[in-house]
Amino acid sequence: MEQKPIIQLKNVTVKYGDRTILDNVTTDIMPGEIFVIVGGSGCGKSVLLRQIIGLEQPAEGQVIIDGQDFGATTGEARRQILRKFGVMFQSNGLFASMTLAENIELVLEEYTHLNSSERDEVIEMNLRSVGLGGFRNFTPAEVSGGMRKRAALARAMALNPSILCFDEPSSGLDPVTAASLDKLIKNLNSVLGATMIVVTHDLESIMSISDRILMLDTKVKGILATGTAEELKNYTKDPNVFNFFNRIA
Amino acid sequence: MKKTSVPTETYYSTNLSSDLFRLTPLLPVSLENALGFDAATILKQVEPETKSLILDCRKMGSYDSYFVIFYAALEKFCLANNIQFSAEGVTVDMKEFLRLFGSKNDLKTEIKKQSFFVNYLNQIGNHTINILKDTRDFIEFIGELILKMLNLIVNPTQIRWRDFPLHFTKAGVNALPIVLLIVFLIGVISGYQGAALLSQVGAEIYIADAVGISITRELGPLMTAILIAGRSGSAFTAEIGTMKVSEEIDALNTMGFDHIKFLVLPRVFAVMIAMPILTLMADLAGILGGLLTAITALDLTITGYLNQLQSTLSYWDVFTGVGKSIFFGFLVAAVGCFRGLQVRGGAESVGKFTTTSVVTSILLIIIADAVFTFVFQTLGI
Ligand SMILES: Nc1ncnc2c1ncn2[C@@H]1O[C@H](COP(=O)(O)OP(=O)(O)OP(=O)(O)O)[C@@H](O)[C@H]1O
Ligand SMILES: [Mg+2]
Repeated sequence: MEQKPIIQLKNVTVKYGDRTILDNVTTDIMPGEIFVIVGGSGCGKSVLLRQIIGLEQPAEGQVIIDGQDFGATTGEARRQILRKFGVMFQSNGLFASMTLAENIELVLEEYTHLNSSERDEVIEMNLRSVGLGGFRNFTPAEVSGGMRKRAALARAMALNPSILCFDEPSSGLDPVTAASLDKLIKNLNSVLGATMIVVTHDLESIMSISDRILMLDTKVKGILATGTAEELKNYTKDPNVFNFFNRIA
Repeated sequence: MKKTSVPTETYYSTNLSSDLFRLTPLLPVSLENALGFDAATILKQVEPETKSLILDCRKMGSYDSYFVIFYAALEKFCLANNIQFSAEGVTVDMKEFLRLFGSKNDLKTEIKKQSFFVNYLNQIGNHTINILKDTRDFIEFIGELILKMLNLIVNPTQIRWRDFPLHFTKAGVNALPIVLLIVFLIGVISGYQGAALLSQVGAEIYIADAVGISITRELGPLMTAILIAGRSGSAFTAEIGTMKVSEEIDALNTMGFDHIKFLVLPRVFAVMIAMPILTLMADLAGILGGLLTAITALDLTITGYLNQLQSTLSYWDVFTGVGKSIFFGFLVAAVGCFRGLQVRGGAESVGKFTTTSVVTSILLIIIADAVFTFVFQTLGI
């Protein structure tokens, strides 16, 4: 079964000023997999994610989504690619001036032709799926951090995107909530069949959810290792990888 | 702080045999005891023929980050003078501590020591480059803004009009009381200034000309613009800056929204429409201020003042003022949003850019006003 990758990174190089953050990153992400990006703080995980979702264009190299060069598209074609993505940002990115329901409604209005009552139903459904049934009229400031994360997830899912990206979904959450969020991600992956890209530090969640892992490193400015959780746990070529996955300081 | 000279024996003991220097700290090598453990002072005791230096850590008890500095200083000295350096009684914890704080990683920033003069010139240079870059970015931003505004003529549903009433209320309606009050007072003040002069030459009635024209042509639009820069320009920067910090703008963009159309244009239009209305009302308030002075300080009658005003003030005076105010409004809103989008990093950046936003707006308003005045003068309008 030869599948075509949904996302291809080809020699992606990212620079800020004279500083190279990522150098020549090349990898493929397959449809339906949970692809986890790990690495120490400041190694460029969020930066790589920003290239993938099209917020920034790499200095060199290409990001190819479903066979289309993301950086080269404009107008409607670009909009259609963006529609494939649902993104949950590191600091959740919910619109503070809107209620949770309005946050979700915004995307529905933009991309669908649902009428107002249909939209309401979809919103209710999405909020319920992340356990926020009764909170539609709360603003982000009025709910807890964990609830905000879940609301952001509900918004990211609203259009049933084929690629869901999470930047540190469990940071700042207690272990129980974090674990339930992991379960939710795993569930959504099997229910929606969406490709998931998860940036995380959390070893437990890496072990439990990942299909494949990409480890970035500050020194190599790029990929230190890739493989499944099992493979990286027994990775002996580089002590940094081995230590990370076996929790040795 | 008082610098006390401390008796060295209490801090450490030294033992100097022919080519071996043994240093034994007796008290904690800590920031608190830094004075007693001054490496330079201690190393003065090292003789030229010393071949090795031993730091005995067994008696010092506790330590903190100063230990790392002290240790590094000894190490450096020994390296430079070809002395063998070793430490005794270093526990595992100590080793880990030294490694953690003392590790010379490759990312260490080079601290360049430069003369004050060179530094100063460097700063001036950097500053100039930044200002030029900033100017170029702003011009680009204005260009993009104008293009997208023109685009609206073809496709007026592209911007989020839903937010327009909110911004109009905040920037326009809510600003009305303060604008009226300030310009009214400006009218009173300039009336008094004029009154003193005019009554000397017995031309009291010309107070209406002086106040009327200066308010409608200059002070009305200018003061309104400055007030709006302080109220709304700063608010725009703070709002948009906060959205930037909390990744709301990123979220907008990944959802396929254009933040210029979504956030910037509704604000720009709100201010551009609010400004002429505010200015017209401000003109009225200023003229009333002048009237107050005229009847109290100069014993003119209301009808006298108004008649005089009617005969000198042309539509054109009011028109140029209101026209300018639309442009000022554009500047204030554009600068406010531009600065907001420049915010990087955290909350403190929002504050910094909010300040810059107000300063830039006021500067640009005054420059624009000077240009307008010059152009109107030359054209004889
Ligand atoms: N806009 C930017 N301008 C300049 N440098 C940046 C910018 N964004 C990120 N960087 C730099 O890129 C590097 C990687 O940042 P990134 O945010 O990707 O880290 P990260 O791997 O996500 O870390 P964390 O786990 O702490 O979130 C950092 O050293 C940061 O200083
Ligand atoms: Mg990050």
